[in-house]
Amino acid sequence: MTSILETFSNGLGISLVVFLPLVSAVFILFIPKKQEFLIKIATLGSSLVTFGLSLIVAYQFDYDNAHMFQLGNKLTWIESINSNYEIGIDGISLPLLLLSTFISVLAIIYSFEHLPEPVNPKGMMSLILILETGMNGTFVALDLILFFVFFELVLLPMYFMIGIWGDRTVRSVAGFKNQIETRLYASIKFFVFTLFGSAFMLLGFLGLYFRGSKTFSIPELIELGTSGAFTGTFATLVFAVLFLGFAVKVPMWPLHTWLPDAHTAAPTVGSVLLAAILLKLGSYGFVRIALPILPEQAKAWAPAIAILAAIGIIYGSLACLAQTDLKRLIAFSSVGHMGFVMLGISSLTSIGINAAMIGMVAHGIITGLLFFISGSMAHTYHTRDMDRLGGNMKLLPKTGVLLGFTAMASLGLPGLAGFWGEFMALLGAYNPLPGLNITVFRTSMVAGAIGTVLTAGYLLWMLQRVNLGEPKEEWIGQDLHDADNYELAAWIPLVILTVLIGIFPKIIFGSTNDAVISLVTKAFGG
Amino acid sequence: MEAEISINYLAISTELIVIFTIVGTITLDLIFTKKSKYLVALFALVGSLISFIPIIFQWANYSKAMVLFDGSYVIDKFSIILKGLFILVTYLTFLLSINFVESDTYYEGEYYFLLLCSLLGALVVASSRDLLTIFIGIELASGPMFLLSGWRKGDPKSNEGAIKFFLLGVLSASLILYGFSLLYGVTGKIIFSEIVSSLSATGLHQSPVVLLSSILILAGIGFKISVVPFHSWAPDTYEGSPLPVTAYLSISSKATGFVALIILFTKVFYESGTSWGVILVLISGATMFIGNLSALQQTNPIRLLAYSSIAQAGFILAPIAVAGITGNYNDGVYASVTYLVIYAFMNMGAFLVVNILIKASGSENIYEWGGLAKDSPMTGIFSVVFFFSLAGIPPLGGWFAKFVVFRSLLSTGEIFGLSLGIIGAINAVIALVYYARVSKIIWMDDSPAGERVITVPNPLKVVGFISLALTLLAGVFPGIFSSLGEASAIFFSS
Repeated sequence: MTSILETFSNGLGISLVVFLPLVSAVFILFIPKKQEFLIKIATLGSSLVTFGLSLIVAYQFDYDNAHMFQLGNKLTWIESINSNYEIGIDGISLPLLLLSTFISVLAIIYSFEHLPEPVNPKGMMSLILILETGMNGTFVALDLILFFVFFELVLLPMYFMIGIWGDRTVRSVAGFKNQIETRLYASIKFFVFTLFGSAFMLLGFLGLYFRGSKTFSIPELIELGTSGAFTGTFATLVFAVLFLGFAVKVPMWPLHTWLPDAHTAAPTVGSVLLAAILLKLGSYGFVRIALPILPEQAKAWAPAIAILAAIGIIYGSLACLAQTDLKRLIAFSSVGHMGFVMLGISSLTSIGINAAMIGMVAHGIITGLLFFISGSMAHTYHTRDMDRLGGNMKLLPKTGVLLGFTAMASLGLPGLAGFWGEFMALLGAYNPLPGLNITVFRTSMVAGAIGTVLTAGYLLWMLQRVNLGEPKEEWIGQDLHDADNYELAAWIPLVILTVLIGIFPKIIFGSTNDAVISLVTKAFGG
Repeated sequence: MEAEISINYLAISTELIVIFTIVGTITLDLIFTKKSKYLVALFALVGSLISFIPIIFQWANYSKAMVLFDGSYVIDKFSIILKGLFILVTYLTFLLSINFVESDTYYEGEYYFLLLCSLLGALVVASSRDLLTIFIGIELASGPMFLLSGWRKGDPKSNEGAIKFFLLGVLSASLILYGFSLLYGVTGKIIFSEIVSSLSATGLHQSPVVLLSSILILAGIGFKISVVPFHSWAPDTYEGSPLPVTAYLSISSKATGFVALIILFTKVFYESGTSWGVILVLISGATMFIGNLSALQQTNPIRLLAYSSIAQAGFILAPIAVAGITGNYNDGVYASVTYLVIYAFMNMGAFLVVNILIKASGSENIYEWGGLAKDSPMTGIFSVVFFFSLAGIPPLGGWFAKFVVFRSLLSTGEIFGLSLGIIGAINAVIALVYYARVSKIIWMDDSPAGERVITVPNPLKVVGFISLALTLLAGVFPGIFSSLGEASAIFFSS
């Protein structure tokens, strides 16, 4: 047993976590479409094994050395350009990796019974598995090109998820002559926006490669970057393109416009995976690549990022107040929450970046759950229009209670997971890295604080409109299904996690804290 | 003087086998009756496969470049790889043709004969190191295509395309010849290495005559590789030709042109790179933009692929253009050739998909292809792999092609490379829109009423799976292309 575990720590463990889903997806393609149950069980089994493996990885991880890359390996991949299969995890990537494997399991459980037209579980299951490989891979890749490949690998599955299973409502879009189905418009918009960012990001990676010592290795580039190898206009340009690539994904205002469309159009599992994991790829990119490799530029850009983040928080909340579509409201709330994550990152302090880390995990859990619930409600009521909904507590008591709980978590109620990210991000912004423009950060902090009030406002208003009151006449006497076992199986674990992380934030900080402190000390000396 | 001609027949055994197959094909065509004409196809297929064997041996036992005919003909790693590519593409074209040619009143024997002649021309270009040989190679490769593009005799579109292609082809040949004649006039030599030493001895390597010669040759080859502003024939000719011929035109003919361009500009004109490099940079950028923006508006899948292949030519050209300016030819050629090889297989796959879907839907309008993937998931997966690979989405092969191009453009950080890199990045995004559109239509749009049965003949499946395997392999293990880097290094040292 010990010997197996030893080989695991030699990169095999996390490699399996990354590639097992992909291999399973290929196998599933060979199962006849008729054998739906076999397909579902095989997918669930594969994702459970993957999750189990990631737990073993978490068990083997040495938390006393969380600032070091562990359990990894470096194998030759593309020799001619000196790009290697270099993988490993540290305290920053570990929680995100676990989040990814965990949410994937829940998404698959939920998909057992709740796929919109054209049901086709074979297609959806293989797409989720391919997506999981891309997500897990991004969190363990320690080579820029490997990172890029995984970062982009998520595009195709998500494009097809939105495009095939998405919302078929016909709408008109500014600039288009003909009306177009929401799913078709949203899927290509998501794809084009992200590719636009990442095409330039790739140019930035190449810039680092040629100015550095012709290496794509992230640890080596961090050494180079923290010792001041990248300076001047060159570094400013590189940071700009990296910013573009990551900020589109986060998404930061004003590059966020693809998000509400994609979320609204995506099928429930698509929204969940998008909100819970895909958005984190962008903010993770900032913490893993942009900050430590280009610390001077990060300092120069930090006020701008803080301002954009603050605008995102206020803008997201105001947009939420104007929504009548439940899913769109949650989508815009993501813009606000990711604004807090970015505000934390922009402070360049260990408090701020820790806030971002726990904020990412909490947002993944809470917003994931919100999308699960709103997706199911949309499925039950056949509408997402909040003006028509009402009295949900009476019509669907289980769903209603969970929606109330999650909304409370989302607005940052102390004791639940959402609290720490917001609170500490504001704390970080109050006291940013010495040398940064204190006025800008304190103003952003105030804006963020106003944002928390607005967040509470729109979420409570949403609850009032959807959950409380008397059911509208059109629903009375209708046979409405409350949450079934598959749904509860997917949701309850998230509820438990929300409470656990809320009470013991050390679950996350125990992993991230050392790594974040080491990052900040190395890059910014503070 | 007693001329003792000794020829290393082993070195040119590939060419000899192809010649033998050509003669055999046309002879068998005379012998067999209409019923057993498929044997001609089989013969051509086997012949082209056998001609691949010497390539493998030459690659495996490679020690140094073999120089034949006083330096006119060189077999080095560079040429071996390209010959392998040309043969493989021709082989896949044959497979693509089998059902296509049988299904209509085509002349079968001549069809294979002409394709093999074109292959021979391409093989010759890859090894040629003098003006005469390379000219014969270029024209032998494109001559048969004039006939093949007009193969659908009853179709006015085919006639129009073929005539355009022929007229412009003749014009391009004369431009190339004019350029060659200037070089010969100045130096009196035809072998490249002798031309170069003569030019540097007389100090003429940057003279207006040589520059004019390079521009004429560039214009001539520009037609072959269909770059802006010499591209206008391509969509019409592609649309009019039988589909397998179109695939061949857009892959093998284009590659032959590029190989000729690479050999001429990096072996003969490399000292005046700063002059033609700037021109090529402009052409490359314009080609990407015009190709992509035109492709956006196409509803006909073949015209869409025609414009897409114009845009792709812009990408292939970019590294050579920048190499001219920076002098880093080694890197530039590595990037271009890698792109060519990956492009060959993904584009072949894209044509395969179009071929199947046109037949299945009976329509040459992509907007009438709604929901076809549901009728044939295999074709649906093919379309995703090949079209998104053309768009450069990881982990499909096209990403590495784009990546090596960007890498070579940014390698020196000089302004032309940087600008082309940014233009390339913008174009990658534009191109995504129309590549994704094909997948969108067949996967996401609703199918029209009525059953559609899609049967994919076995030869097409073979083409599909070979291209699929190579496209995925290129994307996941791009390390296999390191030998191309080595090959381009040898190419320059010899």
